[in-house]
Amino acid sequence: MVVVGAGMVGHRFVDELVRGDVAGRFEIELVGAEEYEPYNRILLSEVLAGRADLRALGLPLPPQERVTFWRGVAADSIDPASRQVLLSDGSRRDYDHLVLATGARAFVPPLPGLESAPKHVHVLRTLDDTRNIAARAMNAKHAVVLGGGLLGLEAACGLRRRGVPVTVVDLDTHLMATQLDQAPARMLAAQLRSLGVDVVTGTSVVEVISAYDEIVAVRLTDERLLAADLMLVSCGIRAESALAADAGITVERGIVVDEDLRTSQDRVYAIGDCAQPPSGTTGLLAPGWRQAEQLVASFLGRDELDPSGVGDERPEPVKLKAAGVDLVTMGVRASQACDHDRVLSVSDGGARRHVDLVVRDGELVGVTVLGFPEVSAALTLAYDRRTPLPADPLALLVPGGSSGAVEETPSPMRMPGSTTVCRCTGVTKKQIVTAWEQGAATVDAVAGATRATTGCGGCKEVVCGLVDWLNASDPGTAAESDSGPVSTAVTERNIPVRTTT
Amino acid sequence: MTLTPSPAPDAGEGVSVAPRAFPTSKGGLCHKGWTSGSVLRAPDRITEPLVRNAAGDLEPTTWEHALSMIAGTVRSIQAEHGRDAIGVFGGGGLTNEKAYQLGKFTRTVLRTKHIDYNGRFCMSSAAAASNRAFGIDRGMPFRLDDLAGTGAVLLLGSNVADTMPPFVQHLAGVRERGGLIVVDPRRSATAALTDPVAAGEGGLHLQPLPGTDQTLLLGLLHLVVADGLTDEEYLAARTTGWDEVRRSVSLWWPSRVAATTGVPEEQLRRTAALLAAASPSRGGRGAMILSGRGSEQHTDGTDTVTAAINLALALGLPGRPASGYGCLTGQGNGQGGREHGQKADQLPGYRMIDDPAARAHVAGVWGVDPDSLPGKGVPAVQLLGKLGGEVKALFVHGANVLVSAPDATAVRRRLEQLDLLVVCDFVPSETALLADVVLPVTQWAEEEGTMTNLEGRVLRRRKAIDPPGQARSELEILADLARALGSQVHFDTEPSLVFDELARASAGGKADYSGLSHAVLDAEDSTRGHYWPAPAGSGGTPRLFARRFAHPDGRARMVAVSPGAPEDDLRRDAPVYLVTGRVLAQYQSGAQTRRVEALNAVAPAAFVELHPHLARLHQIDDGDDVAVTSVRGTAIARARITGTIRPDTVFMPFHWPGDGMANAVTNDATDPVSGMPEFKVCAVSIARADLFVPAQVEVLV
Repeated sequence: MVVVGAGMVGHRFVDELVRGDVAGRFEIELVGAEEYEPYNRILLSEVLAGRADLRALGLPLPPQERVTFWRGVAADSIDPASRQVLLSDGSRRDYDHLVLATGARAFVPPLPGLESAPKHVHVLRTLDDTRNIAARAMNAKHAVVLGGGLLGLEAACGLRRRGVPVTVVDLDTHLMATQLDQAPARMLAAQLRSLGVDVVTGTSVVEVISAYDEIVAVRLTDERLLAADLMLVSCGIRAESALAADAGITVERGIVVDEDLRTSQDRVYAIGDCAQPPSGTTGLLAPGWRQAEQLVASFLGRDELDPSGVGDERPEPVKLKAAGVDLVTMGVRASQACDHDRVLSVSDGGARRHVDLVVRDGELVGVTVLGFPEVSAALTLAYDRRTPLPADPLALLVPGGSSGAVEETPSPMRMPGSTTVCRCTGVTKKQIVTAWEQGAATVDAVAGATRATTGCGGCKEVVCGLVDWLNASDPGTAAESDSGPVSTAVTERNIPVRTTT
Repeated sequence: MTLTPSPAPDAGEGVSVAPRAFPTSKGGLCHKGWTSGSVLRAPDRITEPLVRNAAGDLEPTTWEHALSMIAGTVRSIQAEHGRDAIGVFGGGGLTNEKAYQLGKFTRTVLRTKHIDYNGRFCMSSAAAASNRAFGIDRGMPFRLDDLAGTGAVLLLGSNVADTMPPFVQHLAGVRERGGLIVVDPRRSATAALTDPVAAGEGGLHLQPLPGTDQTLLLGLLHLVVADGLTDEEYLAARTTGWDEVRRSVSLWWPSRVAATTGVPEEQLRRTAALLAAASPSRGGRGAMILSGRGSEQHTDGTDTVTAAINLALALGLPGRPASGYGCLTGQGNGQGGREHGQKADQLPGYRMIDDPAARAHVAGVWGVDPDSLPGKGVPAVQLLGKLGGEVKALFVHGANVLVSAPDATAVRRRLEQLDLLVVCDFVPSETALLADVVLPVTQWAEEEGTMTNLEGRVLRRRKAIDPPGQARSELEILADLARALGSQVHFDTEPSLVFDELARASAGGKADYSGLSHAVLDAEDSTRGHYWPAPAGSGGTPRLFARRFAHPDGRARMVAVSPGAPEDDLRRDAPVYLVTGRVLAQYQSGAQTRRVEALNAVAPAAFVELHPHLARLHQIDDGDDVAVTSVRGTAIARARITGTIRPDTVFMPFHWPGDGMANAVTNDATDPVSGMPEFKVCAVSIARADLFVPAQVEVLV
């Protein structure tokens, strides 16, 4: 088994295979072009933002005794006839099964001015990219991020955190157009501006202007000039499929695979961003991981287990990871809802908060939450796990809908007689009042008579309050409980009596 | 507590009970403690041996008859089916002496491998993880009163405010400092302790989806790494496996963990920051991570505890002042009960039964041939699964499996298939009522002995009054049975002598009691405490790990883990999780506490706690009967509607038999390492009882 690509999907595939192949049927070789140990690419924008230590990125190393790991070695070509992969170190590896997990590369549009490859124009795809951008950010005066998608925005926020003024330029009329409706996108732009990230939409860069091989500015479609000494191009990805195409394997937008992840070439499979399955591509991690699991299951002859136990798949939640911006969106957008759907929207401009919920047949099928972290995790979970919704979905918008309002401890005088005051010993207010009426005029005396406060001691304050109130409300009663008619009806003692001067 | 024999035992209580100043309880007693005297004189207390007669009823008999009947049946079963056809099920409520003697009786007289105990339902995941990481399993490796000075406590799946109220006093300091973090799907009484105290800021209550505790912990460790808060010097000097563990959490970034657990990212970050700031390596007062059954009773319970320990190690906590990982024991002798031979794979002193040196040592103390000792048995759930099959007879001591075991309806069916069920108890528990022979035994104030508490402190139990009727201590019963079965092995019946033998048997083991005796425990100031390991002449060990861990290389072993999903997970026809637990006024299967009127007045019956959203969806009003159904069975109990539970989760206490028996619903799938059943999460559907239609109606022909 030769796996080409040690990114997050290739890594996951090998990890699953090693775990599942207990009998050691497969001899596994993993080929990774990057010099580094496998790392978590998802967190590169966090590293750029200075929010994650590099050490948090290292993925588990494949066990040496099971996997031969060719690190820093690229696969140059495939020879399907002899079932061999030719590596950049000149060696040939035989395979019975070849899994391509070559991923994707950043797409850089052919802009005038880029042909000369000026310095300080970057993409963000690898650890090296991140390091280079971070290094440049130390001296940059103004950065331009081309592309207002997820990664572009995360990177923009990251650069801003590093103190660099940033402008995000997006050709679409609004940010994250693939995932967001206009209303939440406008709110997002407002939030970004408040963080110091400028946003320019409905326009694009038509020219990159450089001097002495270094970028100095970009020209926009509206002829505006933006000074820029750092540019990040974040215009989406393209499948890394050249290796497959060169070997005569069918490639369209990606390496074409069938439902079982088989390419047009016998014994060659493709998973992750490089693959183009019948269901389409997303550029997200979770589907790639599922493909890795699915392929391992089929190699091991296991029936594919549906981990959610639910059946039909749903689009993955998309979460923007940036300090100061809490945005998560998933499933059906408000603008895509059908007539019979229930759509709940909150647009709270002052707080830069926006929520769209789409409920279809009693299920949460679409969620967009911006600036409302108190509910975003719970809503993601309700969407993902399909847990029962409240009869009125409006309740989903109340933070702590899960934890609920904490009942206030009632004041001693207003609490009903049946209220348990001391949970540890099960003593009620009525019992304390009775004890007081029988002469227990201090907390210690009440404790002696009823055992209240003798467990965890947490109710001491309440008992103290009760005794104080009783003493104040009816001085003399506790001392001379036999003199004269004294009401023992607890209910009457629920009326505040401190009316006399 | 202080016991005073009551002058008028017929008036209801055999002793009167009063709290006393003691470092662990700090003078506190909960309702169960205050009323414990009435269990001694429970109206239906068993005071004479009972044997099932031809009509199928339990009728009184003599000790001679009961014991000879047991001996005869055991002999014939073993003659026909072999020694392993007898099973023994012990309990974490037995004294150390009784637990020790039960293990010895099983291994030397019955010579069956089939022994385990209800602590398997309780402590096994934490024990397995502690042994794996530290090479030793003492619930708390520090003193309980060390909590007072610590800066942060992460409490995982434990509702101590209900299960151990006096414990809450030890949290006063950390609450004032805003360092208490409670993880629970419910806003339990303990979770409510994170509310601001007076002028303080308050702590944090994390309310994750049931079954996602491990993910939460991996996410916290990820944050500690990502924020550069690890104690690398400590990790390099005192642990192995850190590199692998660090890599294993790289995939648990905060937003992924938030989406999986439902805990907002901000709370995750605050928790990691609180723990790190309190860590001694960063100049803090100390930080502790404590786990309870909520995080342990899962099919990945051992790994969940391991994740908690990894987090503690990454912060450099274990062995540092007012810091470390600990687990909160669930039963009175939950600690001692797991050290002296009730566990399927253990001999006294926490020795392993498959270790030849351990066998030789213990066999020497017992005066038997090491080769005559049986090998490893199976954990409790597997043992119960063998009833009626490989195991034809069962002895039950200090347990009420009919109510306390998962998938309890199936357990009843298996118990009914036994050729012989012997139950030693002092009240007619549900399990006792099913027995062929019931032997009346002594209980707490009627016997001498020792217990070991959650911090490894050995405590004396003292006799205040005589047992009623013909009740006898298990120590006498086991000695008599040994004789009746023709064994030559010597069994002491005097608790202090049994303890002396236990001490010898434990000498050199991990839980070494050889420096202790009843006399030693009685002589010195009891507030100082005697903590194991207490080898002869050592005076005990209040705090472990200051210099080394208990593995041969002295290092803690970090093991990379990954979360498993609940075995019985959410699906369309079971879209809600059931979690189970205790209430303050009842205890375990309720066999004792349900016999105390004052406790029943507070907690009279089972209930189903559910969120108003869920209740409204199913047209359930507060107080309606609710049917909670899993693939295994249904429980019906009153609805208690509260906004303090997650809307995707219902809670039931497990103290009651009958219609409201939560364990008719729970799952008996077990953790592969510890054998712990997954009590704490299974998928259920709910319905108002009057609208409930059983999905599968078995047609009996």
